[in-house]
Amino acid sequence: MDRTAGLMPARRQPPLRRLQAPGPQLRPVSHAATIACAACGRRYVADRYAAELNVCGGCGHHARVGAVQRIEQLADPGSATSLRLEVAMRDPLQFDDGVPYTDRLERARERTGLDEAFEIATAAVSGVPVVLACMDFDFLGGSLGSAAGEMFAEACECAVDESRALISVCTSGGARMQEGIASLAQMARCSAGVKAVSDARLPYISVLGDPCFGGVTASFAVQADVILAEPGARIGFAGGRVIEQATHDKLPDGFQTAEFLLAHGMLDAVVDRRDLRPTISRLLDLYTRAA
Amino acid sequence: MTTTIETTEREQAAFAAVELARHPARPRALQVIAAAFDDWTELRGDRLFADDRAVVGGPARLGGRAVMVIGQEKGTDPMTRAVHNFGMPHPEGYRKATRLMQQAEKFGMPVVCLVDTPAAYAGVGAEERGQAWAIADSLLRMLNLRTPTISLVLSEGGSGGALALAVADRVLALENAVYTVAPPETCAAILYRDAGQRARAAAALRPGVDTAHEIGLVDELVPEPPPGAHAHPAIVAAAIRGVLIRHLTELEAIPLDDLLGMRADRYRRAGG
Ligand SMILES: [Zn+2]
Repeated sequence: MDRTAGLMPARRQPPLRRLQAPGPQLRPVSHAATIACAACGRRYVADRYAAELNVCGGCGHHARVGAVQRIEQLADPGSATSLRLEVAMRDPLQFDDGVPYTDRLERARERTGLDEAFEIATAAVSGVPVVLACMDFDFLGGSLGSAAGEMFAEACECAVDESRALISVCTSGGARMQEGIASLAQMARCSAGVKAVSDARLPYISVLGDPCFGGVTASFAVQADVILAEPGARIGFAGGRVIEQATHDKLPDGFQTAEFLLAHGMLDAVVDRRDLRPTISRLLDLYTRAA
Repeated sequence: MTTTIETTEREQAAFAAVELARHPARPRALQVIAAAFDDWTELRGDRLFADDRAVVGGPARLGGRAVMVIGQEKGTDPMTRAVHNFGMPHPEGYRKATRLMQQAEKFGMPVVCLVDTPAAYAGVGAEERGQAWAIADSLLRMLNLRTPTISLVLSEGGSGGALALAVADRVLALENAVYTVAPPETCAAILYRDAGQRARAAAALRPGVDTAHEIGLVDELVPEPPPGAHAHPAIVAAAIRGVLIRHLTELEAIPLDDLLGMRADRYRRAGG
């Protein structure tokens, strides 16, 4: 039996869409729009806030960043090219909870301008060729379904084919429940991708953003050579509220924050977003230019 | 306040299948090990923190050859269920499993994993000690293991906690088992914001192992005589022994490099 029958595999297309840096062209915002820091309330003009990487200059609060903006923040200006993976929508269970799952996908596509919870681009970071695989929390909570899994696997394959370092930025609630068991399988698929990158001795740097949970944390997000996390990011396997309800245990202070996990030996560093690009650049230099 | 949840016949049937998979008398890992293997010698501890009783493991003999058997154990009565934490491993359980897998590779023993867990344990200690890290590490190690591997889902393959021991050359399942991204109660809580709608979630998410078989995550379903494995433990144990020996014999004939290539390839396409 052909297990892929009826499914359209993602095929890598010749690059057409060039990502701009830093780009109001991609995320059109009104110049008049202002954004308030969720932590301290300080107001910013939208463009200025984006230029500050969505980090509040007053209190240092890190707000969420979309996948395309992530790529712009990390890539050398003008170097990023979307892999333009044309992933078909998958709905293995014809899931419908009142709103058909395919409608939810369609809406998420319209809202984010993305095909799936990942945006993948080849780029250079301080001149080092990389593949950037960035998740977008706005796309159904950054959940990992089979199309997203396919995209990450393609990202890994591209890294191996073109001898590029792999950088992923994860923000995800975990598995895509609407796809059932097929979404669970993505943890293994993404791990197989990481294995290929590792076998090719190409560096893999993982950045964990807020939030990062479930099957994403329990697979490729922590299979990297270097694991970085953003300040205050909530990271774990099961959510804190689930644990509290199930066990009636009191959660320790700062439970599941990046800082908490750093202290427990789970991360290499907690890195302020404004230091992220220089940190990754330095690591790439060390790992790719041994002599 | 209590609300009555109306369920359709289809939903009731779907949840009845989940309840069958959760039948307390279904064969557990330790029972299968005792009945289908010889000379099993338990090895304990992860050498890092503790011995997690939700995972048991050690070398045994199967049809003449030595194999490393690793199982998730749910327990068979209130006492042993508590001892084995209802089959919900902590990170220590996965680290014990990967320790034994590495040992199996060293001695050229095939690995047989018996999967039976509602989910990896969700708790403060489990998170502090890196539950996600332990699972992720097990996934990667199972892909890299240079020895034939077989996983058999006995009753409940729940979430990443099950997959961590089910990335193998052959994945088998007893036909009345379930294999799910999360238990129906959790799925209902996430999808409908109401854990009580578990029957609806079961109908929508098709948790039976036939679904996992359809998408290629499971290779073969092991038939159970009606009404199910709980009523025929000896017959089922003999069937498990037979099917494991058949697959091991096939896998042992494949050169290791080819085997690892096929395994990586298989998971590279997993789940459509
Ligand atoms: Zn602020």
